[in-house]
Formats: sequence, structure tokens, C-alpha cells
Amino acid sequence: MSRVGSQVATLVGKEVRTLFTSPIAYAVIAVFVVLSGYTFTVSLIVGKQATLVHIFFQSAVQLILLVPLITMRQFAEERRSGTLQILLTAPLREFDIVTAKFIACMTVLLAMTSLTLVYAGVLAAYGDPDWGPIYSGYVGLVMLSAALVSIGLMISALTANQIVAAVVSLGLFGILWAIDTLASLLPQPFENWLLGLSLLAHFTPFAVGAMYLSDVGFFLTVILLGLFLTVRALARR
Amino acid sequence: MAVLTLDRLSKRFGARLAVDAVSFEVQEREVFGLLGPNGSGKSTILKLVTGYLYPSSGTVRVGGIDVVRAARAARERIGYVPEDSPLYGHMRVTEYLAFMGRLRGIAGRPLDRAIDTAIERLSLGTVRTTIIERLSRGYRQRVSLAQAVLHKPELLVLDEPGNGLDPLQIIELRGLLRHLAQDCAVLVTSHILAEIERTADRVAILLDGRLLTVEQIAPQTLAAPVPSPLEALFLELTQAKAMQ
Repeated sequence: MSRVGSQVATLVGKEVRTLFTSPIAYAVIAVFVVLSGYTFTVSLIVGKQATLVHIFFQSAVQLILLVPLITMRQFAEERRSGTLQILLTAPLREFDIVTAKFIACMTVLLAMTSLTLVYAGVLAAYGDPDWGPIYSGYVGLVMLSAALVSIGLMISALTANQIVAAVVSLGLFGILWAIDTLASLLPQPFENWLLGLSLLAHFTPFAVGAMYLSDVGFFLTVILLGLFLTVRALARR
Repeated sequence: MAVLTLDRLSKRFGARLAVDAVSFEVQEREVFGLLGPNGSGKSTILKLVTGYLYPSSGTVRVGGIDVVRAARAARERIGYVPEDSPLYGHMRVTEYLAFMGRLRGIAGRPLDRAIDTAIERLSLGTVRTTIIERLSRGYRQRVSLAQAVLHKPELLVLDEPGNGLDPLQIIELRGLLRHLAQDCAVLVTSHILAEIERTADRVAILLDGRLLTVEQIAPQTLAAPVPSPLEALFLELTQAKAMQ
């Protein structure tokens, strides 16, 4: 492994351990599992359909509520406690630090999301599910998680107060999720412009089994823009 | 040879000029003190030297390397202890030192040796597996110093290292700084004149971000009785109390 790769891996390890040292990661995963388990059970008993569409939509809403709890302390807490000085004066680039924090947050979220694979296993054992929408739904969840983490990291890099970071992230995620409601009130071309920013509008095709390059491009753009702005926020000093 | 060179270094925060065209050099194995009242720009200069802040104008060179243009190479030559010694409190001492060593590109046996050496030099042997947040302030300061010397830096930068330490810990720190200066240059800030006078070879006095003067400390001051009569009395009384 290259020296930079080794340094980033060291940082990732430290970030993951830090996340699992605090009770936040466990609480987030527990809430996620309980709620998605309830939804899966109810939708299976009532709907009697071998599908995970409900789980994907509910997971997406849960991500919007829970990702701020994971990202809020990433930079805000380091800034408040002074340890950001240690990281930013080590022989690392800001990009390395941001990449490590992004990977660490995604590790927790992927571990959390992967627990729902049990439901796919149940469907496979007792039914004949259509695997296409299941694959695309998971791709959509990963894309959405990464987009939310990159925005959350950017907001955390702008403040020394993790509560402020969480509240602002939650507000912004909520607006970006439901902005299509506002869009419908506006005339063209403003309606289309706002719809283009809607997380829900770009996530829905993934959840129902349709993957479009435009949606993949949207999420990749949000991820890269969020990470770029996080690096800029750290470098502005 | 100069380990650190500041050339007309300035830093502006909005309309306020925090550091105003400051120039000085720090030589090999020299303890160089920055003195000045609160808000005089001492900590800002240290943050500029370590690359935590970027200068508005002027340059900082460590071992001839520009800290802005070749940040990575310059930072490898610096050990930094920020004010109040921020640490990851949930880590154990050796775990933290290993983490900091790996961040600086040390791994395997060299890292183990570097940790053992730093622990020995900073007398951390009895707390090497202790969780950092359970350590006293004096030990936390030592852990912070240990991470700063782990990679054998050319320049050790210390921001108010005596803050919050009791007299006994300050006396220990004074000896420690002279000991560390045998291997590298030390740039240290303080607003306590007597401390700098006992530790530094030269001092720069700052006011409102401007450098007023750079003075050599008289050798007889550095060689003055350590501890001073008052410190000796303090040690005698506190140690006698501890013995009871």
C-alpha cells in the first residue's frame, strides 16, 4: 500500500473506532433495524408481495433523519476539541482527511443497510422476488447515503458546534428531499429546475427498479460537489 | 544553519492585522521563545509556522522548505503541541502514539522503536496503557510532547506548554524542553517572562502583531539555580506533605 493509502487507512480506522466508541452509531443502527423490520413484517403480511420497495423508501427517509447524527461530529467536534489542528498540521492533504471521514461514515451506513439484506433472503426463501428492483434499490440507497454524507461533512466542516451541524444538515436534507412539492407550485421552467434538485425524484426510479444514467450522474455530482466543498471549507484558513 | 526562517510574515483576519511583517530565524538546537501579552500574535505565528494557517503575505521556511508550497515535506520536519494539548481522549497512550506515528508515515518496527523511545524520554512508562482522558494534565502534556517528537522533527513548536500546570510540573517541563532541544530546535510561546527566561536561548518580544526586538538570554540566567529558592521551598514543602 502506498504511503498516502496507508495514512488514509489509519485515519479511516480511527474514525470507524471513534464512531463505534460513542453510543450514537449503535443507537442509529438499532432505530434503523427496528423500524425497517416492522415495515417489512407489516408489508409482507398485509401486501403478501415479494418486494422491498417499501423498505427502500422507508430506509431513504430514515437516512435523511439519521445521517446527520453520523456526520455532525466529524469536523465540528474535532474543531471544538482542538484535534483538528493535529490533523491539519500532520503531513496529510485536506483531501486525505475528508476522504477518510467519508469512507468511515459510509462504512457505518453500509453495515447498517446491509442488515436489511436479511429481508431479501426471507423473500428468496419463501417467494420468487424480482431481483432487478432489489439490486437497483440497494444501488439507490448507497448513492443516497453517499450524497447525504458528503453534504453532512461539508456542513460539519463549517461549524464547531455539532448540534448546529446536525440541525442544519437535517433541514437541508428535508428541503432537498421534498423540494418537488414546492416545484409543483411554480411555473415552467422553474418547476423543472427544482425537480432536478429533488432527492426523492432521483431516488424513486432506483427504488422501483429503473436505473437511469441521469440519476446516477445527479448523485455522483452531489457527492463530488459535497466533498469538494468540504475540502475547500477545511482549506479556508 | 537556520532551521526556521520567517521572512516579512503577515496574517490578516478581515480588517485586523494579527501578524505584521515579522522576520526572524531559529537556529539548530536553539530554544527560541516568543513573548508578548495576550493577543500579540504569538499563537498566530505558531499556526503559520505549522501550516495550520496560511499567511496573507511573506514566507515561512522549515529546513529551507516553504510551508505553503511544499506543505507535506515541511510538516514532516515539524512537531507541534497546540495550546491546551488537544488529544483523542478515548485512546490509550500507546494507541494514540501509534496513530500519530502512522499519520507521519512510520510503521512496523521503526514505529514500535519510536514509541518506546518517546515513552522513555517523556517518562510515560507507567501510563502507557492508560486511557488518555484519565490522565492528569501534566501527563497529557507529556503525551502531547511525545507525539510531537515521535518522528524526530527538526523543529518542535510549543504553544503555551506551561498552561494549567502546577509548579512541580512546570519545573519538570523546563528540564524537559532543555533535554528535547539537544536534538532539535524549539520554538515556544509563553506570556510568563520568568519561564521563557529560564528556558530559551533567545527571545522575540511581540506587541500587536509586530516584532519589537530579538534578545539573547544571558548564559548566567540559563545557568541559574534550578529550581529557584522559592521553587525549592515549594518542592520541599509539597514533597514533605506527600511523604506524610
